[in-house]
Amino acid sequence: HPNVTVTFCLLCAVEYSTMPIEKNITLDRPSAVKLICELTTSGDLNSVNVTWKKGDDVLENNYPTSATGNILYTQYLLTISNSKQMGSYSCLFQEEKVLRGTFNFKVPELHGKNKPLISYVGDSTVLTCKCEDCFPLNWTWYSSNGSVQVPVGSQQNKHVVNGTHANETRLRITQLLEEDGGSYWCHALFQLGESEEHIELVVLSYLVPLKPFLAIVAEVVLLVTIILLCEKYTQKKQQPLDGGKEFEQIEQLKSDDTNGVENNAPRLRKTEPAGQ
Amino acid sequence: MARRAEPPDGGWGWMVVLSAFFQSALVFGVLRSFGVFFVEFVAAFEEQAARVSWIVSIGIAVQQFGSPVGSALSTKFGPRPVVMTGGILAALGMLLASFATSLTHLYLSIGLLSGCGWALTFAPTMACVSCYFSRRRSLATGLALTGVGLSSFAFSPLFQWLLSYYAWRGALILVSALSLHLVACGALLRPLFLADDTAVGGPGAQLNSLLHHGPFLRYTVALTLINTGYFIPYIHLVAHLQDLGWDPLPAAFLLSVAAISDLVGRVASGWLGDAVPGPVARLLMLWNTLTGVFLALFPVAQSSTALVALAVAYGFTSGALTPVVFSVLPELVGTGRIYCGLGLLQMIESLGGLLGAPLSGYLRDVTGNYTASFVVAGAFLLAGSGVLITLPHFFSCFSATISRPQDLVTEPLETKVPLPNEKQED
Repeated sequence: HPNVTVTFCLLCAVEYSTMPIEKNITLDRPSAVKLICELTTSGDLNSVNVTWKKGDDVLENNYPTSATGNILYTQYLLTISNSKQMGSYSCLFQEEKVLRGTFNFKVPELHGKNKPLISYVGDSTVLTCKCEDCFPLNWTWYSSNGSVQVPVGSQQNKHVVNGTHANETRLRITQLLEEDGGSYWCHALFQLGESEEHIELVVLSYLVPLKPFLAIVAEVVLLVTIILLCEKYTQKKQQPLDGGKEFEQIEQLKSDDTNGVENNAPRLRKTEPAGQ
Repeated sequence: MARRAEPPDGGWGWMVVLSAFFQSALVFGVLRSFGVFFVEFVAAFEEQAARVSWIVSIGIAVQQFGSPVGSALSTKFGPRPVVMTGGILAALGMLLASFATSLTHLYLSIGLLSGCGWALTFAPTMACVSCYFSRRRSLATGLALTGVGLSSFAFSPLFQWLLSYYAWRGALILVSALSLHLVACGALLRPLFLADDTAVGGPGAQLNSLLHHGPFLRYTVALTLINTGYFIPYIHLVAHLQDLGWDPLPAAFLLSVAAISDLVGRVASGWLGDAVPGPVARLLMLWNTLTGVFLALFPVAQSSTALVALAVAYGFTSGALTPVVFSVLPELVGTGRIYCGLGLLQMIESLGGLLGAPLSGYLRDVTGNYTASFVVAGAFLLAGSGVLITLPHFFSCFSATISRPQDLVTEPLETKVPLPNEKQED
């Protein structure tokens, strides 16, 4: 039996409201719980009918109710030690209308990954599940194809389950194959119930990124070829002009080298137009 | 091919700027966005974040230390084959990384191999841009460097999407394909033969002459000092803001604002560097001093508006620094030695970058807040400004043509007789 009582209070120091009032409480181990509801009203407190319900079933009349000034105060003590005692407990104040406050007891939720986990054939991957401030009795992993859940962990070298802290579990899968992809479930067993979470594993083959890779490589090769060909083409267009200029320069150097004896006559002809 | 005496300042030069834009995006944009992969690596290899971040640190270190090699090879073979080889190496490193089974594997493939590839691309490409432009050199460099900023915006969400679709192995394969476009960028770097190139000799001789060149050495010292302080805000601003009580989302938003301001600063400074007469080193000193002052003011600003204003101002001036840094170099050493000069500069200034971040972190640990580290960073920048004043012709009123390479060349260009019209355009 636990020796610490946890107290939860609804409508405490909160104004009168007709909105549905709920409190979600996470429990992972047997606890002694005290539930308190306070009602502040201006009417006659004695005419208010106070009941406690679990779900829709009225609970036995052993809850103390007291009134101070305008505030009606009721409490319910219970010990939650198994999953049957989990659920919703409500306090009801009946005047002209019924005011209901609900305490919802739940086992801790598990957190996995929202997005699918992607990995490759031959690689290894780790699936993690964790919950906050919880100590499950047991962790189990299942894989499911369709609706059938098959426990995981049978093959020794392939699946390894361990966890560094009590509030997390890790499933390590090595030497992935494409068939290993699919839905995985991590299952936490508490004294007060069970909780599970879904993780999706996708195993891709290397061909999947390879195809866009090869497409881009082909595009780069094409770009380089176009650029180099364009350059050759523009060079060829310039070459007849450049070749002509170089030819003229060579001719002038040759004519400068010689003493001009032989080429006298052509030189005279050349210089005439240049002199103009 | 006939040799030109003047850089074309346009024409094919703009294609070179385009190439430099994409390759600075593919080198530094990828490096800056690589943080997206960190979470995946930490989970996949079950290692600490600090050890994973060494991947990028090794990559940057190899890129900067290897720059002289890239530059020396460019002097010998021209930038085109060197940059294309660099692109292949960078892509190969990423491809091999996708098969990694341990963190060491990633250190070697991304850090070492891709780092070598990046070393062969960045410095030669920026030097090529400087070769193709003289009057519009700063603008061209500024436009080319906007690739870094824009790609950081684009690549981070792209890498996230790749990771969610293909996981980190497939994403690395596709980043490798992306990096392969460096080869296409390299193909655009048509060799340009300038008249003063032949006068200066092979890479060994150039390196030697550079190491004895007073102004170049002073410039290197200035840039090392600047580099020490430059990166501090990028690394520590978010942490400093969180110390002041900011939430992560507004802090990240402030960084984005600074990044946009950085982009605007690059282009504006590039345009200004060409429009204003006189040595570009003066503008560098102006932007540098302003950046140092803004850095030192960071600890003083407490209110949100002051911090936003400072971030915008810092972003603008620090972005304005970058194109001018590259434009000063040809004025100092000439286009013939630009490749070697840029490579050597990158390598030495990287010491500042390696020193700055740990120093700042150490000051933070010792004093308890970032005041000391911001002030020291600002002081380094102002010290760099001080050294910049000692550069030649700093106070001259004439344009930079006085220190032009034609003066350093001993052999006169006797085949060209300068016609009266030619010099007036300077």
